Amino acid sequence: MDLLGFTIILVKVLVVFAATMLGVLVMIYAERRVSAFMQDRVGPNRVGPKGVLQPIADGIKFLMKEDLVPEKVDKPIFILAPAILLIPALMTFAVIPFGSSINLFGREIALQVADVNVGVLYILALTSISVYGIVLAGWSSNNKYSLLGGLRSSAQLISYELAMGLAVVSIILLAGSLRLNDIITDQQGSFFSWNIFRQPLAFLIFLIAVYAETNRLPFDLSEAEQELVGGYHTEYSSMKFAMFFMAEYANMITAAALTVTLFFGGWDVPLLDEGSLGLFGTLLSVLSFLLKMAFFLFLFIWVRWTFPRFRYDQLMRLGWKVMLPLALFNIFLTAGYLTLKALG
Amino acid sequence: MPLLKIDGKEIEIKSGTTVLQAAEANGIEIPYYCYHPALEIVGSCRMCLVQVEGMPKLQVSCNTFVSDVSSDRKVDGKYDMVVHTQNDLVVQERKNILEFLLLNHPLDCSVCDQAGECYLQDYSFKFGNAHSRFDENKRVRPNEFLGSQIVINHNRCIMCSQCVRFTQEISGTSELFVEARGYNSKIAVLEDNPLDNLLAGNVADICPVGALLSTDYIHKNRIWNLKKQPSVCQDCSVGCNVDVFSQTDQILRLTARENLDVNGYFMCDIGRYGFHRYEEIDRVLQPMVRKGDSFVSADWETAIQKTIDLIKKNKSNTAGIVSPFHTNESNFLLGQIFKDVLGSLPPITGEEITYPSGFRISADRSPNTRGMNDICEGIVEDLASKIKTQDIRTLFILDDGVDRKLDDKWKKIIGKMDSVIVLSYAMTDLAKLAHVVLPGHAPLEREGTITNDKGRIQWLRPSLPVKVESKPDWEILMLVRNALDKKTEHFVELGEVMKKMGEKFENYAGITFFKVGNQGYSINGKSS
Amino acid sequence: MATIVKSYEPTFWDKLYLPALMRGLIVTFRHFFRKNVTIQYPDQKHIPPEGYRGLHRLNKYPEGRIKCVACEMCSAACPADCIHIIPGPSPWDGGKERYPVRFDIDLLRCIFCGFCEMACPEEAIELTEIYDFSDYTRDDLVIDKEGLLEVYDLTKDQNYYTKKNLSKASSVNTSIDT
Repeated sequence: MDLLGFTIILVKVLVVFAATMLGVLVMIYAERRVSAFMQDRVGPNRVGPKGVLQPIADGIKFLMKEDLVPEKVDKPIFILAPAILLIPALMTFAVIPFGSSINLFGREIALQVADVNVGVLYILALTSISVYGIVLAGWSSNNKYSLLGGLRSSAQLISYELAMGLAVVSIILLAGSLRLNDIITDQQGSFFSWNIFRQPLAFLIFLIAVYAETNRLPFDLSEAEQELVGGYHTEYSSMKFAMFFMAEYANMITAAALTVTLFFGGWDVPLLDEGSLGLFGTLLSVLSFLLKMAFFLFLFIWVRWTFPRFRYDQLMRLGWKVMLPLALFNIFLTAGYLTLKALG
Repeated sequence: MPLLKIDGKEIEIKSGTTVLQAAEANGIEIPYYCYHPALEIVGSCRMCLVQVEGMPKLQVSCNTFVSDVSSDRKVDGKYDMVVHTQNDLVVQERKNILEFLLLNHPLDCSVCDQAGECYLQDYSFKFGNAHSRFDENKRVRPNEFLGSQIVINHNRCIMCSQCVRFTQEISGTSELFVEARGYNSKIAVLEDNPLDNLLAGNVADICPVGALLSTDYIHKNRIWNLKKQPSVCQDCSVGCNVDVFSQTDQILRLTARENLDVNGYFMCDIGRYGFHRYEEIDRVLQPMVRKGDSFVSADWETAIQKTIDLIKKNKSNTAGIVSPFHTNESNFLLGQIFKDVLGSLPPITGEEITYPSGFRISADRSPNTRGMNDICEGIVEDLASKIKTQDIRTLFILDDGVDRKLDDKWKKIIGKMDSVIVLSYAMTDLAKLAHVVLPGHAPLEREGTITNDKGRIQWLRPSLPVKVESKPDWEILMLVRNALDKKTEHFVELGEVMKKMGEKFENYAGITFFKVGNQGYSINGKSS
Repeated sequence: MATIVKSYEPTFWDKLYLPALMRGLIVTFRHFFRKNVTIQYPDQKHIPPEGYRGLHRLNKYPEGRIKCVACEMCSAACPADCIHIIPGPSPWDGGKERYPVRFDIDLLRCIFCGFCEMACPEEAIELTEIYDFSDYTRDDLVIDKEGLLEVYDLTKDQNYYTKKNLSKASSVNTSIDT
């Protein structure tokens, strides 16, 4: 690899990292404002114009707070756990294409950090790693609430990952590839070629599973504050707590991006050939990607302030008795259709 | 014995009692204002009206006597009298009477000191009407002083005349009388004969409404804020039974408590206002040890140690001085410590007063002279000469308190001592001469028994909380006793001291607080 | 005769839950555009309605005499036991012969139930609309007779939080202290 190529990759990594972190900041602000509006309140409006600097103030507060490590915790794991949670959350974004490719410096640059040919697998693998962060945090805290939170989280993630994976399988069957770019290309063309219209059942299962994967309401049993104080992060304070916080929002951003990629044609603008418009087309595609993502992020918050939390047994029943059979049925349906089509 | 039926309840009672007494003795409530068990019956308030079968009109139950009737006149063949206190006629009549009584009575309960213990309030609430039909203006008269301590609020007066009868029958001084008639009648005194006898305070007590007020308590507090503690007056050897009313650590007033064997229903003003003596005295609240010309405060351990050091220095030349102001238990313990020489300071006396009713103020102004003499064997008659002959060098004194004024002779005698230990609640003349002052409890804070001059043991109960580091007198004496002789028994509570005392003195055998109770226990029946 | 209550049989769509979820989402989304009800407290002040139970006051007669006669009905009625009164003979001629020498209310103990107001036979103690009287020490939150009378002067004519008074409002904390 030449120097230019290396630089380009480096720039892309930095841009994606910075964008994700910025997204986290925006999300923290958005969550508080949106939830306030939904409850007929005002929300943070003191720091900066309309309170936009609130996340910065929060960040400073977290930095200044005492970093408390309880006496009886398993120290190395206790300190490592937030990092184990945050790093995969940030890494996942590496394979997600966020725009059509551009021509610069005489070469075509894909707007994607790494075009991995098993991109979907990569994502599923990394989200599985993040559960370690939660379980380790819960276990090392030496606190019954934390442990319960961690246990709940692991059980929940295993149950829903299955349904999510199977829902994605039907998409992969349609696209015939694990590469995310291929999946996007597969959805290009008319408006109705998006997977949401071709695979509505898979979309529904995937969406629900995503909420469970990100530990967001109505599936936030691992930190259910009414029962478990703070769940797996009960004992955490200061920047360590902030890392859990950031990881949650980074996960949300990734999940939204993945949903867009798999079901809403990624950066695709319907009925438009981005390639023919040059740089403008690329910008348009990035904008389209961001808008779609913004909608799903808003949906995350919207759902949070609308639905109550599941009870634990309800959660498990929904996962194993409803979602899993439905996903299998969906694969069967898709495979059957494809077979019939191949047979002519 | 006549057989009564009151409200369906059969009552057999001695001939000559009134219907009111019969009902009261059997737990049937009949309201009254003018009746007082110690006073003549006048039947003027009409509150106690009841219906007696066979009589044409309602009868005042306080002046209707029960007697045997001939068998042919008995109701239902067996009842001598059938009385109704709750039927419609009686209830309506009570309402009417109360409405009359309230015609001119102001609705100023919020400023009235009787509120809370006022019979007019209680009965209006229980038996009266909610509204008055009286539209005219109420009669308004200014307040007047009847004596230096008693104010009358004429507006509140309901003319029960208990106070007038009190001055005529109990004190025999007859200062009060009812002036004019009917609407214009009021309680009055003659200008040259004000209500200033030593029993005057009782009229404020017996007044069923807030008309007669003691200037000592007026506008001081509300009755429901106060803690009421039965106790015994300690200002003369009669030992009148009293109720002490206090709030937190302040006594606000004393009232007489009924005890027919001692004081009847009344008390004198010497005892009533006597508690003020203890208010502005120089209290000793910590053990004090002399250092040169002044005292320094010490903790209990060092003070007790210092005490026994002083006593041990002249063990054989030490005398204890008991006090007629202290309880039997304190005197007993002191007597046990200093068996050899035991004396007491000259008695404090005053004028002996006996009222026509038999109410008595004793010449002996100390409460427990009889008890002290009973409990302490061999009290030296002439302590001054005994000190000289026996060459006494150390004195342990139970201080009489604020009433003891030392004359020069005794100041000189005590001043010559090597060491003087005083158990006192205040920095009295005596305590100022001491080398060690042990802080005890003031008279109304003490617990124990005292014996009055008629040989009645009575229970003193603490009416105020313990102040700072002071300890009960008996406990201090016990500490000294144990420190002097490690073999002596250690008493945990006052009851054990009383038991021990009973073992030593036959008269006091078996005395417990339970046995003494609120009404006292007489030891006169026994030989002494 | 027992009544047979027929329970609602959920239809297929009900069992699917999706329509219900959508309706829920619409409800919250509608609230998103609704006018918010927040009052920006230190900048804006909520004007309490008639009958609000806030800081106490002791009323005066037009000629300036305190209405209270120290009957201690309020302290007897007080469930929090926060009213402490020391009565005494009144220094004024005529009329009521008793008045409070001291009248202290421990605002930290007070639960603002208004029983004192109801118990008062002279209509002397009342609860006003003042709600912002926080302070830094416990002692400062025991309001005495002078403070209570001052509250009367502040509130007798108009609602304390009407525009005219708002600039003064921030100074009330210290001025009514003991």
